[in-house]
Amino acid sequence: MGSSVDQETYQQQLRARSLAGYYTEPAGEPPAPRTCAGLACHLARRRSGAGPEPGHREVHCLGWCDQGPTTLSAANAIATSAGPGGTPPAIRLVGDTAIVTARLAAGDHSALDRARRAGVYGALARALKAPPTAVLDALEASGEQGRGGAGFPTGRKWRLAAATPASRRFVVANGDEGDPGSFIDRLLLEQDPHAVIEGLALCAYAIGASEGLVFIRAEYPRARVVMEAALGEARAAGLLGPAVLGTGFRLEIRVVAGQGSYVCGEETALLNAIEGRRGEVRVRPPFPAEAGLWGCPTVVNNIETLVNVPWIVARGPAAFRALGTTGSPGTKAFCLSAGFRHPGVVEAPYGIPLATLIRELGGGGTDGELAGVSLGGPMGSILLPHEWDVAVDYPSLAARGIRLGHGGLVALPAGTHWAELLVHWASFMARESCGKCAPCRLGSARAERLARQLLAAGGVAGHGTDAGHQLRELLDVVASTSLCGFGQGIPGPLETLRALVAGER
Amino acid sequence: MSPTRTPTISLQLDGQAVTAEPGEFLLDVARRAGLGGALPALCRGEAGTHGPEPEGGCRLCLVEVAGRDRPVAACHTPVTAGLVVRTDSPRLKSLRRGVLELMADETPGAGRETARGGGTAGQFRRLLEAHGVAVRAGAEARPESAVSRAHPYLRFDGEACITCRRCLQACADVQGQFVFEVAGRGAGTRLIFGAGESFLASPCVSCGACVEACPTGALFDRDREPTREAGPVPGARVVQTVCAYCGVGCRLDVTVAPAPDGSGVPTVQAITGTREASVNGGHLCAKGRYAHGYLQSGDRLTTPLLRTPTGWQPLSWDEALAWAARRLREIRDARGPDALGVLTSSRSTNEAAYLLQKLFRTVIGTNNVDCCARVCHSSTAAALQLMTGTGAASASYADIEAARLIVVAGANPTEAHPVVGARIRQAVRRGAALLVVDPRRTELAALAHQHLALLPGTNVALFNALGRVILEEGLADEAYLAERTEGLEGLQGFLGDQPLETAAAVTGIPVESIREAGRRLGQAAGSAGGVLFVTGLGLSELTQGTASVMTLANLALLTGSIGRPGAGVLALRGQNNVQGNADMGAMPDQVTGYQAVADPAVRARVAAVWGREPPARPGLTVPEMLAAARSGHLKALWIQGEDIAQSDPNEAGVRAALESLELLVVQELFHSETARYAHLLLPAAGALEQEGTFTNAERRLQRVRAAVPAPGEARADWTVARDLANQLGAGWDYPDPAAVMAEIARAAPALFGGVDYGRLDGDGLQWPCPRPDHPGTPIVHQDRIVRGRARLMSVPYEPTPETTTGDLPFLLITGRVLHHYNVGTMTRRTPHRELEPADFLEMHPADAGRLGLGDGMEARLRSRYGEARVPVRHSTRVSPGILFLSFHFPDSHTNALTSTHGDPRSKCPEYKVTAVAVTAS
Repeated sequence: MGSSVDQETYQQQLRARSLAGYYTEPAGEPPAPRTCAGLACHLARRRSGAGPEPGHREVHCLGWCDQGPTTLSAANAIATSAGPGGTPPAIRLVGDTAIVTARLAAGDHSALDRARRAGVYGALARALKAPPTAVLDALEASGEQGRGGAGFPTGRKWRLAAATPASRRFVVANGDEGDPGSFIDRLLLEQDPHAVIEGLALCAYAIGASEGLVFIRAEYPRARVVMEAALGEARAAGLLGPAVLGTGFRLEIRVVAGQGSYVCGEETALLNAIEGRRGEVRVRPPFPAEAGLWGCPTVVNNIETLVNVPWIVARGPAAFRALGTTGSPGTKAFCLSAGFRHPGVVEAPYGIPLATLIRELGGGGTDGELAGVSLGGPMGSILLPHEWDVAVDYPSLAARGIRLGHGGLVALPAGTHWAELLVHWASFMARESCGKCAPCRLGSARAERLARQLLAAGGVAGHGTDAGHQLRELLDVVASTSLCGFGQGIPGPLETLRALVAGER
Repeated sequence: MSPTRTPTISLQLDGQAVTAEPGEFLLDVARRAGLGGALPALCRGEAGTHGPEPEGGCRLCLVEVAGRDRPVAACHTPVTAGLVVRTDSPRLKSLRRGVLELMADETPGAGRETARGGGTAGQFRRLLEAHGVAVRAGAEARPESAVSRAHPYLRFDGEACITCRRCLQACADVQGQFVFEVAGRGAGTRLIFGAGESFLASPCVSCGACVEACPTGALFDRDREPTREAGPVPGARVVQTVCAYCGVGCRLDVTVAPAPDGSGVPTVQAITGTREASVNGGHLCAKGRYAHGYLQSGDRLTTPLLRTPTGWQPLSWDEALAWAARRLREIRDARGPDALGVLTSSRSTNEAAYLLQKLFRTVIGTNNVDCCARVCHSSTAAALQLMTGTGAASASYADIEAARLIVVAGANPTEAHPVVGARIRQAVRRGAALLVVDPRRTELAALAHQHLALLPGTNVALFNALGRVILEEGLADEAYLAERTEGLEGLQGFLGDQPLETAAAVTGIPVESIREAGRRLGQAAGSAGGVLFVTGLGLSELTQGTASVMTLANLALLTGSIGRPGAGVLALRGQNNVQGNADMGAMPDQVTGYQAVADPAVRARVAAVWGREPPARPGLTVPEMLAAARSGHLKALWIQGEDIAQSDPNEAGVRAALESLELLVVQELFHSETARYAHLLLPAAGALEQEGTFTNAERRLQRVRAAVPAPGEARADWTVARDLANQLGAGWDYPDPAAVMAEIARAAPALFGGVDYGRLDGDGLQWPCPRPDHPGTPIVHQDRIVRGRARLMSVPYEPTPETTTGDLPFLLITGRVLHHYNVGTMTRRTPHRELEPADFLEMHPADAGRLGLGDGMEARLRSRYGEARVPVRHSTRVSPGILFLSFHFPDSHTNALTSTHGDPRSKCPEYKVTAVAVTAS
């Protein structure tokens, strides 16, 4: 032997050391009490003047942005501004067709019998009587785009995975809704889990997979419990297992718990996390649809995306395309934070003007006029009121260089301290950068230092300072050279904030 | 080592049309097009230092692709037809500078590695300079408190590390050891390895691949320590030669610089693997790379020494050779030429071996010529020669990468032939199937798809059983057998009478496992690609050594493997030039080029070159010479660089033989165990101190060059043979080793006719190379089996006489460990002693517990022949009842235990099975 050190023991120990420093909530360790430091809760806490809870660990975010500030106890009990346990968010609909929130609006559908009475699993039952290609064709024809942020056509992803020769394929539900400001996936996982399962099952059937995984982030402990129970019920009812609904279709689905890393929302990092590795992004190609989990073709879909699937399969692509715009068919569930007069979830067809969402549906800020909104989380955009005259659909937003992300809207109240927000944003980046590529790994820490210098220099006084210049150049380098969407995306809003601090806009 | 692709698409790189294969990465295409210089990459080293998957982390190889809105990293961007790419622009330069600035700012030790020197280690520093990035003030002045020097060779300066992960890639993709990981996240990401960042607490094999790959010099080694900050020593130069340890034959780049003591004597400063070498592609093992300190050891022999009643008396070379010539002549005249014998050195050059065997055959007049091939692969050579017409490996190392199924039988290459071991590991990682036949759970056995842990000495029963399964299940390559072999019917009949149940009982392997392995072999037969059989001394060094190799060769023939690319037989040779010694005629029955000395035509042919015929009667083998010495028939022995008193079996018998000689002349580097018995000791030059050629296990002749001068009066071995011959009146006139090789080509034209020093630069030539225009032969038997038709052999299993008894309940296997080499003459005189300070007895914890032997306690071993005391190491690599012991330290007296048994055909001794008793001391 090369040395007296046992290879297998060494690899286990090395892997453990490598992971322990990576995840903030490593499996097997009892959770600490957590305070949500997501953007909405951060602003809410600043507004109320409340400091961080003593003995708490800060997390981004707990997904209760409509009623922050929020905490999660060591026993995983949530508490919001509405009190212990929180309160169900307001669900509203623009137009007359609810897809994503159809059942949410009527309450909790996590129990199988209630879900089935509401029609869940009907699409699956019908689909299993037709060939898998029928599902593929329907999805492709529907033009559905992934709701997780990238907007990639769902049907094309499935087709690629189905066409890649393999003896084993996987479908994964991406329940790592990390974007502060977004909470629709948490709601769906907790109150409509069977719709997620049905979407995943349809995907599995379409691409020829018999193994599915639901990855749920560490910050959503309740979603994990509910999903486990829903899977158990579904299995017992023959909706999962060796013969789904008595057909030859076999499907097993299990829950994989996240361990605390924002970047794991990125699909390749998520795959690494599932494989028990550090949640670092992988270089592409290969794309997961060609070589994902353990090298097998894998479709990773966002939760909201999956909930759309049974509707599309049941009602047909034409009905779906009748909603929204040509470039962005269907509806989108927008999450409005506590800073709006009317927070909650709004499901609206794509194409709705942003100003309508903010002013009419959100009712503007709690304290009157808003300084701006954050759209689409940390990698999205900060939009000032004069920029709200845009239709919310992929082509219109792209033409203006705006990224929709997860569709979360956080109200930035009048008098928002831009330098303070800059520090908040940059420290989030530094905390969550995975460390895989140099510009993001090193640039995030430096951006935070520079932001703190600007804050210390007194906000507007930072105009024209060296730190401001350095930050601008740094953000350009990080955005232009980073490996994944995280490093490429976060510098956008940071640059907006820097410009606001510098008084350049 | 990857198959060549045919470029099929074209794209534009910096305005230049370039062709590529779709799917190739842009960086590789750009580097091939010579644009690599403009395209820096810190996380992707040169080809051969990493696997196929790009890291994508440093972001410096950014390029602009027309139509893309942001720069892309060339290292993980596949090319498509018509791509228009710019690798350099003011914008790209500025972005790269931005990333480099970040790295420089966050790396306090960035300035510790010199930018001069040109090696990989200076890559980061040179990039910083090229992009005008200043190394942060004060960085160079910070103390190197973080650098650990606990390991004898390896150093890590965490403050200079940029976590580019090239060390991870090299460790995984070159060596296959997986020592490194990264921990932490974001800016806190850092390199980790053994607990507390200690290499000694890791499975590190000290191969240095990480040091070679590190672009910052954060990972460095003892040999680079003096030049890390100061830069190259003025007057340093690089000499290319071949490693002097095992028979893999790695090419070395030896950096030689004037000694730091002011004497100005050229000294070895560092050794690295030759990047472009076919054998090792830049890789080395710890021995080849670091264990060179023995050259400067204070106890080198530096002058001829004559034994006198009052001690060793120094002589001049003229005096020494005159004395030797006189004594040789006296003994020959008094006792006849067959009272003399010679052992050539498998550590020395082809030219030295050739001249010494020629001297004894023509000037003295005896065929008593042998070498240590006798005690290692003589069985392999005998079996393969009989069955196929040539005794050497049929395959080459390149077949490892081409193989779909590799069988490693009786070999432990990750320790004994580490660079080949690493190549096999990598082949398995890339998808080759691996089957290991070994009583021990070696590293490769642990990695294998199937491990057949047979009882020591039962190969023949197992291989016959596997052959039976292949035939029974109709999996043999019928077309190959019909066209290229004979004796199939006989074999079928013979194997039909060998029940699998009997084999299972003999070998200890269940019938089902035998059947599974047989099917695995059979399913790989013929058009499925054949099987590559990598063999070692676990087959050869047995009383059934020849039979083991014969029955294995049956399997190679049944599967149609011999002569097929990616298949065949690859016998791993133990010493750097043991292949060459046999090739040169250091065998009692064959002269240069495996020509039978008993054949009058052969004698006439060599006489035309030598001017004198060798005697017709074959001479004595090593064990026979030693027996003849003990019986008083052999009176004089010339030993060139071999320590048989430690290395040969039945130590007591060897020492008795040496003691009874009237004349023993030993050419050596040191006062070895054998040298104690010498009448005349001649100081030898080491392998890094002389010119010539070595031939490795894949029949490759490569040039050996003197990197440094030999100390004192020590001399190159070939000159000693020449000058002795001239003292004996031979009138030999060889100005240099090239002239010797020119004669070898004439003496054995079928194998070496085209070999010439003019053709031996670089990767040299693989014999047979019969003509000056012949390219050499990577795969023997490719067009036809050398002997016409290969003979299938029906050989029954016969148990070794070394059986266990109630009194001797254990079976002992002897062999090598990673950090030492054979009798340890060289490695024991280096810091390798710190890596492995002593021989140890591997014993299953259950046995050890029963005997009350704690880990590290000394055990007393007793065999029918002798005793030894060695520390015990608990290990599940051996099964209960089986023991393993190395023989690197003379005080262990491992070979006091080994038996007098040997293979009756090859005379190879049985090192691999000895019945012993073990007690607590």
